[in-house]
Amino acid sequence: MRQEFLNSNQAVAEGAMSAGLNVYIGYPITPSSDLFEYLSEKLPERGGVVFQAEDEIATINALVGASLSGARTMTATSGPGFSLMAEGVGFAAMVEAPLLIVNVMRTGPSTGIATQIGQGDIIQSRWSSHGPYNLVVYAPASAQEAFDYTVRAFNAAYIVRTPAVLLSDAVLAHTRERVTVRESHEVEIVDRKKPAEPPSEYKPYRSDSSDMVPSFAYYGEGYHPIAESLSHDERGYYKTDPRIYRNLVERLVHKVERNKAKLVESRSYYTDDADIVFVAIGSMARSVLALVRDLRADGVKAGLFRPISVWPFDDESFVSSISGAKSIVVVELNQGQLYEIVKSVLWERGIKDMSLHKLDMILPELPGPDEILEEINSRGWRLW
Amino acid sequence: MAMEKHEIVIAGRGGQGILLAGYILGKALVDAGYYVVNSEEYSAETRGGDSKSELVVTKGEEPDIIKVRKADLAIFMYTDQMKKYSKLVGDSATVFLDSTFIESKPEGWSNVIMVPFTEIAEHEVGNIRTANMVILGMFASKVGMVSLDLLEKSMSSVTRPTWIEVNKKALQKGYSLKV
Amino acid sequence: MVVVAQKPLHPLDEYLRTDRLPHIWCPGCGLGMILQAFLWSVKELYERGKIDPDKVVFVTGIGCTGRASGFVNFDSAHTPHGRAIAFATGVKLANPKLIPVVFSGDGDIAGIGGNHLLHAARRNFDVLVIMANNMTYALTGGQLAPTTPFTVYSTTTPKGNPDQPLDATKMVYALKPNYVARLSITHPTLIRESIKKALLKRGFRWIEVLSTCSEIFGRHINFRDPYELYERLKKVVKFRRPQSIDDIKYDWDNEITCGTFIDKDDPGWMETYMKMYGLEDKLGGL
Repeated sequence: MRQEFLNSNQAVAEGAMSAGLNVYIGYPITPSSDLFEYLSEKLPERGGVVFQAEDEIATINALVGASLSGARTMTATSGPGFSLMAEGVGFAAMVEAPLLIVNVMRTGPSTGIATQIGQGDIIQSRWSSHGPYNLVVYAPASAQEAFDYTVRAFNAAYIVRTPAVLLSDAVLAHTRERVTVRESHEVEIVDRKKPAEPPSEYKPYRSDSSDMVPSFAYYGEGYHPIAESLSHDERGYYKTDPRIYRNLVERLVHKVERNKAKLVESRSYYTDDADIVFVAIGSMARSVLALVRDLRADGVKAGLFRPISVWPFDDESFVSSISGAKSIVVVELNQGQLYEIVKSVLWERGIKDMSLHKLDMILPELPGPDEILEEINSRGWRLW
Repeated sequence: MAMEKHEIVIAGRGGQGILLAGYILGKALVDAGYYVVNSEEYSAETRGGDSKSELVVTKGEEPDIIKVRKADLAIFMYTDQMKKYSKLVGDSATVFLDSTFIESKPEGWSNVIMVPFTEIAEHEVGNIRTANMVILGMFASKVGMVSLDLLEKSMSSVTRPTWIEVNKKALQKGYSLKV
Repeated sequence: MVVVAQKPLHPLDEYLRTDRLPHIWCPGCGLGMILQAFLWSVKELYERGKIDPDKVVFVTGIGCTGRASGFVNFDSAHTPHGRAIAFATGVKLANPKLIPVVFSGDGDIAGIGGNHLLHAARRNFDVLVIMANNMTYALTGGQLAPTTPFTVYSTTTPKGNPDQPLDATKMVYALKPNYVARLSITHPTLIRESIKKALLKRGFRWIEVLSTCSEIFGRHINFRDPYELYERLKKVVKFRRPQSIDDIKYDWDNEITCGTFIDKDDPGWMETYMKMYGLEDKLGGL
């Protein structure tokens, strides 16, 4: 264990190395490139390999190949690169390849502003690819959390055999803070579920256990698994039979939900007696927390709910954090993506006795508490 | 316990060593026992664009915010960025201005220290690129949150070996400057 | 459960998932000959103690050729369209002891996946790529391929192909990887010899095999009998040593130059990287 003064890009890199990263594959893109550069120096010193691919499409497909060959593998990118990876994210989900994609969010759409923050990739982080599947997404809000949730995201990827996404942002990426770096032997590392059966009986897509996750034979171990991007049965054989398709894809969709208890994470601040609960993620949550403290100092009973696992969403904790509240304000640097998630949770839970507000701030910079307050006042809501 | 809190803005043109100055100061403040949140902003260009480093520094309790709300300490090395970011700086803040590039101080600030840091770096230290270190040296002597020793230690741990000696000289020069 | 015949009916059965046969390839298709050449090569090298079939990772993309990954009894992958080389790159990075083999078609490798081919070749990255070239998008009914000859009909260019075709072998040749060959299903023994050689080499190895798609390509150019297309291909294939890069021809009306154009033994990417960073002990035998 050691204390370091690191930005979140560096903290992610340290977290990944402690989580057992041994193959990093990337394509440079602002504001994630310094993470790549950091690992280019440090990872080979620990016996790992760093590879610069020709683009993000190559990156994600190489990650899948590396993952199935036994590597703990990751990449870091930003919006434009993440968009290019979409097809491969679906492939990784289909062949159940655990891997980590760090998306350091910047201003979009399209090339946007390369060096500036955005939060417009929240929905994309869950469902960038076509077709039904689910994965796991964590959004840290500090350099320490960037370290901690990189370790956690790697574990989540192996718990459910799916890609995991770490949603960072341009402000966190280049903000240094004190970070407690724990070494590999000081963190919990979840490994693959090894096949118990002999190779002749192995079926790469069969799960007998309640977690819906199949055991994982690597390439080169004699099990001859097929990574099949087509609809397939438990052996990995292409099948168009609707029953077989349904068995497969329902499992891909539901296995995240099935393992939800092991995956969800959130933090609530001052919500016990709150009349108004703010919801925000990432660096934005830091500004909102400061605003909540200002409001408390002025006698307004404000609180903050901060989802860390954006998917699966920690709806239990969210519902308890808003019990007693009169209004919810979702604050984000986009058109209301986190708002859509919150809205669907409220609808599913049948919660109708409170007002829900969308504070969609389409800005290329992180607002401070004063600017958020100003924006709230400009909307004419009567919140306090 | 009353929380000690400082907010610091350092800004100038890309290439003046703004981000490095923020990093070295932040690392030294961590060693001095502060919580430090040091955020950086820069434009896509390596040279000539805006460059800003912000530090939110507390003792006793971790800071919540990342970005400065009202700085009580500021360093500006170029006029454009001083104008652009002056709204972040409180009227009573201690402000260091590099008079090599900034001809006059704006109205409002009551506690301004104007020194030709870049000229001093060029002619007295012998390397124009050490102006950022001259400022940090003076910051240590005037503000007092961090010792010259800790700044030297922090600088030595993050700059390339060939720069350590000249940077040390610049820090010491700044520390001994009289206004 | 994997059904394996107690007594092999064919000497290559142990390298096939026989429960998945018959395959999808049409009568007159050349792909089976290329796959057979590959399987014979592995079998022979295994019996001579040169290769462990459990270390072979058989990677394909989308298309008729891509379906081969489902028929073979190796570790395998049927990747998204065009991504086989990228996938195989990750395999090698993760475990240098594995032998990734990409086996895919011209649309997959030279069209949608062309960028991956270009960069893997210039890096001399340690992967063997076998590209079956039938000059059309066969599985999907005969759309234009990057390899379709100039002015020839395809379903997306009904008045004939206005593009100049890509000579993928010529492009790879320009990038100077360790092994570059172009062969044809009209000369099957040569395919087998070439694959055997390439399997044992390091760095990037490229084998293009001209193939016949009589059901789509042949029919579209008015050959009623698969044999007619086979004869037509045989006529245009010329084995010779080119004098320069410009002497490599891809001309459906006159000559498609075949042969082994590069055969050298420079260190591949893996070896170069691992030595640079002091990691050579992690390299495998190949």
